[in-house]
Amino acid sequence: MSSYKTIAMLLAGGAGTRLTVLSEERAKPAVPFAGKFRIIDFTLSNCVNSGIYTVGVLTQYLPHSLNEHIGIGKPWDLDRSRGGVRMLHPYQGRQGQQWYGGTADAIAQNMNFVDDNRADTVLVLSGDHIYKMDYQPMIEYHRERGADLTVAVMPVSLEETNRFGIMQVDDHQRIVQFHEKPKDRDKGNLASMGIYIFNTHSLQKRLNENSPETPRLDFGQHVIPAMLAAGDNVFAYKYEGYWVDVGTIDSYWSTNLALLQPNPALDLYSDHWPIHTKSEERPAAKIGPQAKIVSSMISNGCIVRGLVTNSILSPGVYVSPGAVVKDSVVMNDTWIGPGALLDKVVIDKQAVIGAGAVVGTGDEAVANALMPDKLFAGITVVGKNAYIPERTQIGRNVLINSGREERDYPADKLVADGKTV
Amino acid sequence: MAQAFAIIMGGGSSESLSVLTEVRSEPAVPFGGKFRLIDFPLSNCVNSEIYNVSILTQYRPQSLNNHIGIGKPWDLDRASGGLRLLQPYRGGPLGDWQQGNADAVRRNLDFVERQPEEHVLILAGDHIYLMDYRPMLRQHIQTGADATVGVRRVNIYETHRYGIVSLSGDDRILDFQEKPRRARETMASMGIYIFRKSVLTELLQNENYVDFGRHVLPAMVESDRALYGYTFPGYWADVGTVQAYWEANMSLLAEEPALDLYNPEWIVHTRSEERAPAKIGPHAQVGGNLLSNGCQVNGSVERSVLSPGVYIAEGAIVRNSIILSDTVIESGAVIDRAIIDKGVTIGQNTLVGSGDDNTPNKELPEQLNTGLTVVGKGTTLPDNLTIGRNVIIHPYTDAKAFSRRKNIASGTNFGKSMR
Repeated sequence: MSSYKTIAMLLAGGAGTRLTVLSEERAKPAVPFAGKFRIIDFTLSNCVNSGIYTVGVLTQYLPHSLNEHIGIGKPWDLDRSRGGVRMLHPYQGRQGQQWYGGTADAIAQNMNFVDDNRADTVLVLSGDHIYKMDYQPMIEYHRERGADLTVAVMPVSLEETNRFGIMQVDDHQRIVQFHEKPKDRDKGNLASMGIYIFNTHSLQKRLNENSPETPRLDFGQHVIPAMLAAGDNVFAYKYEGYWVDVGTIDSYWSTNLALLQPNPALDLYSDHWPIHTKSEERPAAKIGPQAKIVSSMISNGCIVRGLVTNSILSPGVYVSPGAVVKDSVVMNDTWIGPGALLDKVVIDKQAVIGAGAVVGTGDEAVANALMPDKLFAGITVVGKNAYIPERTQIGRNVLINSGREERDYPADKLVADGKTV
Repeated sequence: MAQAFAIIMGGGSSESLSVLTEVRSEPAVPFGGKFRLIDFPLSNCVNSEIYNVSILTQYRPQSLNNHIGIGKPWDLDRASGGLRLLQPYRGGPLGDWQQGNADAVRRNLDFVERQPEEHVLILAGDHIYLMDYRPMLRQHIQTGADATVGVRRVNIYETHRYGIVSLSGDDRILDFQEKPRRARETMASMGIYIFRKSVLTELLQNENYVDFGRHVLPAMVESDRALYGYTFPGYWADVGTVQAYWEANMSLLAEEPALDLYNPEWIVHTRSEERAPAKIGPHAQVGGNLLSNGCQVNGSVERSVLSPGVYIAEGAIVRNSIILSDTVIESGAVIDRAIIDKGVTIGQNTLVGSGDDNTPNKELPEQLNTGLTVVGKGTTLPDNLTIGRNVIIHPYTDAKAFSRRKNIASGTNFGKSMR
């Protein structure tokens, strides 16, 4: 039949600074989600479930967790002799060191990977969104229209349009105007999802135009406007399904907890579109005789002997007798001591919460003093390997940095709302 | 390279596991939620740095083959050594059905002889235990033994289930009695043998030696061969009966279970399924259980072990039971002291393990007499059915087969046996 070949290029280099300590030691796509998954599992699984088995993963920021997680791609069926997954790290070429200067530049520096695979179509994806999508219909749509570029778009509320690239289309879904994070609300509400399908040829042409006067470093800022100005065939593809950018602490927390509803919008329990991940080898979750669990997700390897309500526990979490975990997201191997109380907290891996400690008590309205734009919704964040000493009281919107020890805490064991340790 | 290669007996049909082995061989029987029995000897091998492992299959091997694959979860897909499945075959002087465990090894003697290692570690495939085989191998080599048998003290009331040995002061086996009706000693053979390869080959020339416990070991004692015992102190359970299987699973629920599956130094590897974490609903009660990934629990579950993907509806009650993968239990159902195999659907308000009538099972009175009811794989139980105790419902029984019956009496069976 058709000899078209699509290659996926997954942008996984982002630092995700709005996730504070969660992305301090790992790239945003490697951040754990829904207990045992990582954010990148969704995009990767979408690729293989769509029949796309050649995937380049472009890294830059702190890729070690991501590399460990992806390995040779086996959990996603991507360890193949033809195609498969390839981690594409920044490298030095003859022109000296060249870190990726933007989304388009990252692709530009790896076009040799696209060419080696003789792909005529490039699917550009970001690795930090949560959604299930079959890319084949969008690829067919792109080819039927003879498009140079197809951008997946979805309707968002008017209040949010200033966070996205907003597209205006004509009656044939051709994109006629594009506004990156517009301040005015009259540009419509079709937001770019950061999913692009390019003809390799058209993409290469535009990327080659890169120069100080005509930069082509970023898709949203440079490449797409250039293509529209030059009259290329650029189309919008409407997507209407579940799609979330979990790039802030509050959206990360609320997206995770939304999974605890009886019929969540994102269904992880059906076989129909499986989300593959690198599973850890842990025994089944053990629930003690006095434990009480309500509306929560408990991963393998957990031992729960206390009370867990409306929370998600990653593999290996230990909840001591008398401990209470509420409205929280707790990552791998964290130990929660007897009588400790956690309320609206996001805790990274391998933290230790001492006996009787209270985390998340106080006024939710007091934003974090150092990062008021990142921690303001009443959620307290505890970094990887942090230790919270016994009977410490920690307020809301507090940030406990990774690796904190007893000596880092005030002597009176009180960390007020909005403080940082 | 280790000095021994391993052969695991995977061919058992074990009728005393009832419906669990009607559809699969014994080593493929699930355990502890997400494991299978064979994961224990297999993991013990690789954790002991024995990477040349063969599994002898015969009875209903499909589940086992699927589970083992190419051996990747146990790190056994290797260019040298690695995992091999040895199936029954025809042709040559040795080809034919295996009549017993020693006979099974005999039919693969050509394979045995080709292995570079000098000693052969023979393991039963149906015991639960965590063991480093290296100290046993060291003792075997140091004593210059022809064979070494792993032994362990057992409960004096259970001696009739095992091969019982008498040991001398320097660990030589002086006497061996297979399943004695009355025994004075309580040291039992664990079904773990290390043979010097040359000795094994020599002994198996005798075609009458069909079983290690019944023929080979007694013959070795008789002819005064250098036969030694290695005492193993750790947890070890033969889960070859419905009662023992249920008890071993339940013992995992203890505060400090004797079998420690949480030791990162000795991981039990298995082929993991990809499932989301267990989801507990708003009205669920889940104290005292093992819950695997993929479970969705909205009802009440206590003192039970759930395999991946089990769905318990709101209003359902499960107590003291083992529920295998992907079984669905509808609202109002009450399951008490039952073992429910995979892919079973239990209709609304249906009671399994109901009442106080503990009449032993008609067909398996020695195995099913403590009130445990078993339901085979793929069965659909209709709504409003009451099933008593010590009952066997055979696999793949359709709801229609029950037609208008409302009651299955204690001690009876229903459905068609697949043996």
